[in-house]
Amino acid sequence: MVMGKRNSIVVLSSDEEDKDYDPLLSSSYTKSKSRSSSPRTNSRGVKKARISGSRSRLCKESSKLNDVETALFSEDFNEVFTGCKGSAALGRRTEEQWVDKYKPHSLEELAVHKKKVEEVRMWFEERLRPSKDAFGNHVLVISGQAGVGKSTAINVIASHLGAKLYEWDTPTPEIWQEHLHNSRLGVQYTSKLDEFENFVERIRKYGLIQSSCAKESEAPIILLIDDLPVTNGKLAFGRLKKCLHLLVHSARVPTAILVTNYGNTDLADHSARCLEELQLSLESAGACKVAFNPVTTNSIKKVLVKISQLEQCVVTAELIDLIAKASGGDIRHAITSLQFFFLKPELMHSLSLSSPPSISEENELELDNLGDGFSLQFSRDETLSLYHALGKFLHNKRETEKAKENDQDAFITGERLARLPLKMDAPEKVLCQAHGQPRPIADFLHENVLDFLSEEAIDDAWTVASYLGDADLLLATFRGMVGRYNEAENVLQSAAASVAVRGVLFGNSHPLSSRWHAIRRPKLWQVEQTSLSNKNEMIRQRLGAHTELSSSDLSVVATEYAPVFKWLGHRASEHLDAPEASVSDIYMKDINIDNMSLDDQETEISDGDDDIEDW
Amino acid sequence: MLWLDKYRPKTLDRILVHEEIAQNLKKLVTEQDCPHLLFYGPPGSGKKTLIMALIRQMFGPGAEKVKVENRTWKVDAGSRSIDIELTTLSSTNHVELSPSDAGFQDRYVVQEIIKEMAKNRPIDTKGKKGYKVLVLNEVDKLSREAQHSLRRTMEKYSAYCRLILCCNSSSRVTEAIRSRCLNVRINAPSEEQIVKVLEFIGKKEGLQLPPGFASRIAEKSNRSLRRAILSFETCHVQQYPFTSKQAISPMDWEEYISEIASDIMNEQSPKRLYQVRGKLYELLSNCIPPEIILKRLLYELLRKLDVELKHEVCHWAAYYEHRMRLGQKAIFHIEAFVAKFMSIYKDFLITTFG
Repeated sequence: MVMGKRNSIVVLSSDEEDKDYDPLLSSSYTKSKSRSSSPRTNSRGVKKARISGSRSRLCKESSKLNDVETALFSEDFNEVFTGCKGSAALGRRTEEQWVDKYKPHSLEELAVHKKKVEEVRMWFEERLRPSKDAFGNHVLVISGQAGVGKSTAINVIASHLGAKLYEWDTPTPEIWQEHLHNSRLGVQYTSKLDEFENFVERIRKYGLIQSSCAKESEAPIILLIDDLPVTNGKLAFGRLKKCLHLLVHSARVPTAILVTNYGNTDLADHSARCLEELQLSLESAGACKVAFNPVTTNSIKKVLVKISQLEQCVVTAELIDLIAKASGGDIRHAITSLQFFFLKPELMHSLSLSSPPSISEENELELDNLGDGFSLQFSRDETLSLYHALGKFLHNKRETEKAKENDQDAFITGERLARLPLKMDAPEKVLCQAHGQPRPIADFLHENVLDFLSEEAIDDAWTVASYLGDADLLLATFRGMVGRYNEAENVLQSAAASVAVRGVLFGNSHPLSSRWHAIRRPKLWQVEQTSLSNKNEMIRQRLGAHTELSSSDLSVVATEYAPVFKWLGHRASEHLDAPEASVSDIYMKDINIDNMSLDDQETEISDGDDDIEDW
Repeated sequence: MLWLDKYRPKTLDRILVHEEIAQNLKKLVTEQDCPHLLFYGPPGSGKKTLIMALIRQMFGPGAEKVKVENRTWKVDAGSRSIDIELTTLSSTNHVELSPSDAGFQDRYVVQEIIKEMAKNRPIDTKGKKGYKVLVLNEVDKLSREAQHSLRRTMEKYSAYCRLILCCNSSSRVTEAIRSRCLNVRINAPSEEQIVKVLEFIGKKEGLQLPPGFASRIAEKSNRSLRRAILSFETCHVQQYPFTSKQAISPMDWEEYISEIASDIMNEQSPKRLYQVRGKLYELLSNCIPPEIILKRLLYELLRKLDVELKHEVCHWAAYYEHRMRLGQKAIFHIEAFVAKFMSIYKDFLITTFG
């Protein structure tokens, strides 16, 4: 996504376009722009030089192959591109993405919280000052969800401070065909991680080579790493971590690393955890960290209002409100939505300039539709946190009365089996929103559901337990035998999640009135771990002393030898040979340790609880 | 050394419990015609003892010099190679291992080891090529694939090695394997036989056994000789000289389960179910197999139960035991059984006592 954005900047921001837009802007806008224009163009220049460099390299390579082809290609490309532009231009003027058009150019315009901006600015200012030997670290980690303005903030601050921004040249991912083509030409493939490592290495050793960026060498430099290379697997991840660690320790140029958080939705998601770990390791290495919160609805609204004024669009406060709320703190998304929303009204606008009232009516109509909420075209897909979804399932909120008329012809169920309609979306939809993995969902439900049953309802407990058992069966069916990406497996998995969730919803026929509950992490996971480690311990122990023992069944060891050893306990140390005694001692100790660790973990869990209140 | 190991008969002649089988096996081996063997029978009936004695009979006392090894096998499985770590017990003439310890990878283990054994065949004194014996434990816990691959390797390498398979229940061993082996069923020893063994040990140790004491141990042992001897030794540790009224303490996990059972009988509510779950977790994390937990729990519950409920409860126990074997996480199913029991029992209490 970041890549895409960057590309569009490059292509669209030719100088003429800039000129085109200037008259559109309000006076304050131009003023602010003119103030900051010189450093900005500088940074642009750098960017462009960089990109054209990479492109020319590419061209060279391909020109070896076939000049004509490239020519054709570029022609085609241009044609297509201008074609696109032309169609967009039909509306009024040459269109640009509003996101880029109304990019903030001064600190005041940033929608990010003032304090955060100030914090980042101060940080850079301190490091850009000539006497900069006082600071040990030169790395700043900025985290935040997508579209809160991380990159923009850095850009603006850099231009404010008159610094040049030097970015890591994110390499374009290579597709397989490309790779084949390249390897035929003799171009070696280097992994993106390798490239990144080389880059960091260079930075560490030589700093930035001034002449390569621009001629005037006085302007301070800020290094921006926006896109960390994707790592797959532990090894690569370890390399990346090490590499970043080195960077933190030895960077001399103020460096900003941007990390996009993908929400708190996925507990089980591996990549999210990786990112988190990465951030932690960066911090522990001494990097400074600033977390950007989602942009507040108010500041989004302000920006939207301003843009709509500049664009001379009639817009109701409700609509702005709606868009701002739906964007979920993603300002980029909000602006794009606004632009999208005005594509159609714009046409209306130009057609019926004479009658403004009709437009507002139109808008209102549109708004009414929106109010119904059947299609919020511009809303971000809502995501729920896993805990939120679990809370929904466990609290099991239902309507107080059944809508008789609708249901009667549909499906007649017995008195005992009938349930009131749910006060939520279909459980499967909620699951989708929460990105729930079936196995953890089942485990979580199993761990927590008993707390949500009423005191006397043991029958309900049985129903729920039985359905969870069904889910377990479904989850276990193809264990390890069919490939993980098998279609059938996927269906089974989602069916299992559905059974688990619906089982819980159905089984809990007398839900408790909602009150505060903490959702625990499944203790089952711990039990599995301890039992595994105990098992390994037993295997090792089997190895240790008794040759006879080593041949016997694990279950026999667990059920028969272990208790006897416990009884024989210390007497064993006198009576038995030394090695055996030590083994049984170890065993005793182990049991103690296990008990302790279980307790410990329990407290740990309660610390880590996510609290759910009544939604 | 535990009495169990100390008084384990080393040769087929000295076997006390299954003399007849031992004599037959001896004849079989001395006639130089040893087929693959499958020993099956309940735990503690003396399968392993017989096997060890049989190997000694085949190769002489040299077979007793075993070394324990934790070996890593590198296995080529299609595109990748897997490292499998497994403990083996081997002498020059035999290798013993429990392939089911390797989990999913068990099939590779079986193939790989047999192939390796075939590569270095021992040469006996007469210059004739001999064979090695591979003892596989817990064959019934092998996955289906592993059993199939075992079948193939059995045929291919039958000239180089003999397999001795050992398991509790032959029904979980595929037909194909069973028909390629000589099946030897080892019954659980009768209580009289156990008493005989205990008295033998008592005499060797020079202990005074009060009358009826050995038979009480035998009774409690569930006809498992191993358990009888272990609890005999425990009793000796706890109190000697023996008294005829001396308590024979059950295994700790059994006590724990009977505690769970009385918890269940005392209160039937989701809250209690949650407490029970905690206790079950305790058992599971100490590696008590879930099947055994469920079985024992049923046993304890039935002891305290009214007759008219027994049938239904047994039915549900069987139902959930089956599902537990199909499923992945045992606790889900054990808990479902407990919940079902609570629900039945609560209904029963309400209808009888109002």
